[in-house]
Amino acid sequence: MLDSELALRFTRYADAHIDGARNSEVTHLSRIHGGASRQTYSLDLKYDTPSGPVERGLIVRRDPPDSLIDTERRIEFAAIRSAHGQAGLPVPEALFLETDPEFLGAPFFVMGRIETGTPVNPFRLEDVEPHRQRLGTQFFRHLGAIAALPVEGSAIAQELDLPAQESCWSKELAYWANEIRANAVSPQPVAEAAIRYLEQHPPPPAQRLSIVHGDYRSGNFLHDGNGEITAILDWEMAHIGDPYEDLAWATDPLWCANDSERAAGFLPWPDAIEIWQEASGCAFDPAAFEWWSIFAHVKALGIWVTSAKAFAGGSNNDPILAWSGWFTHAAHELMLAARLGAKHGAGT
Amino acid sequence: MTHIGFILGQIGKTLVSDVAPKLEGDYAGGHAAMAGLMAIMAGEAWDAAADRLVTEIQGIRRLLDRGGVDCSDVSKAPSVRLSDLEPERDALLLKLIALQFRLETDDSPGAQSLNADIWAHYITTAQARMPSPPVFDDPETG
Repeated sequence: MLDSELALRFTRYADAHIDGARNSEVTHLSRIHGGASRQTYSLDLKYDTPSGPVERGLIVRRDPPDSLIDTERRIEFAAIRSAHGQAGLPVPEALFLETDPEFLGAPFFVMGRIETGTPVNPFRLEDVEPHRQRLGTQFFRHLGAIAALPVEGSAIAQELDLPAQESCWSKELAYWANEIRANAVSPQPVAEAAIRYLEQHPPPPAQRLSIVHGDYRSGNFLHDGNGEITAILDWEMAHIGDPYEDLAWATDPLWCANDSERAAGFLPWPDAIEIWQEASGCAFDPAAFEWWSIFAHVKALGIWVTSAKAFAGGSNNDPILAWSGWFTHAAHELMLAARLGAKHGAGT
Repeated sequence: MTHIGFILGQIGKTLVSDVAPKLEGDYAGGHAAMAGLMAIMAGEAWDAAADRLVTEIQGIRRLLDRGGVDCSDVSKAPSVRLSDLEPERDALLLKLIALQFRLETDDSPGAQSLNADIWAHYITTAQARMPSPPVFDDPETG
């Protein structure tokens, strides 16, 4: 579908769904690169209302033919709703969820656009200097705040069955093991060995049930260039589970160019952990973190083999999928092999 | 001109340094930059691809032999084309996964030693597959 046709179709949707709106007009529409799990568009919308004209920036997230992650948009939408306006979290406002493909050719949802901010390149975290420490402080405070959000009564809790605290790990591991086995185009011996290891060495039960962002990391937030995080984005893997899942994912070495000195490439580890503990109300447990950080590599492999399959099968020709199936897969496989190999005496 | 790795590398640099900056702000700009990075990676990987697979296959066969695994049903690749080598490697990997699963339930020193060597093989092959990290030049300097 051409952007012009998409814009025209969206004006019809806006007239029909925004209270009091008429004469809607999309004055600008551009597709945003990245976020291959949905087709993401930024648009400027003008419309008349009984109280006068309105101009508004919106983000439309439309389902693609194939994506990195097979997620339900209603869960992503509910997760954003659960976090918006809570605990000082800079999260966009979730406005409309449309499952009928009639309007834009595929299901989609609409968010308010946060007007300020650019993403961080995980391979160039030095670009955020001299604001690295300030950004890092917010990064871990927001991460902890998400973990502390109330689950009961939240929008996302209406969409999902709550796991038991002692089974958060097994539920997630089973899901990603299945993704790897269902989508890998070649045998995955390192992933298989890692799955067995994680099954045989379970983590402690979750200290609490939390809303898990699922993809909280450098690259998935916006900052204003002066040390302020302006938006937390990409909630497509959100679910309810163990908050350690987010902590381990956020500090995975891939998102900080293997900077082992600083958590997520931002802060000295003790500082980051202290901020996260204070904001989340959780106590740091090295055993839990160890398990979830290995799990993070496995989960990543699940995403990467899925993206490789989509690209190789021709269902999605976005080069980010080929990149994910190649570079990032190789990186996480090497991390897993090195970590688990050391536990099994490799090289000794 | 047969320097395919060089050609891919130059195409990639052109896409990253010349094409993508001119498309900044357009969705195609992201595609051009990503395609360029991968062309550079492909150029780097091209020269060593067959050697890497041959070495990997030899390593797996040695490990399977030590584990007493019958590999007579896995034919040797008829050529060193990647499309011939990959099916052989994949068939052997399935046997290696099964062997490792068995070794993990065997506490004998021999089994543990072989398992350690399987992990060492994984580390070596993962290192061999790992592309160089991407270089994101400043737009101003190209």
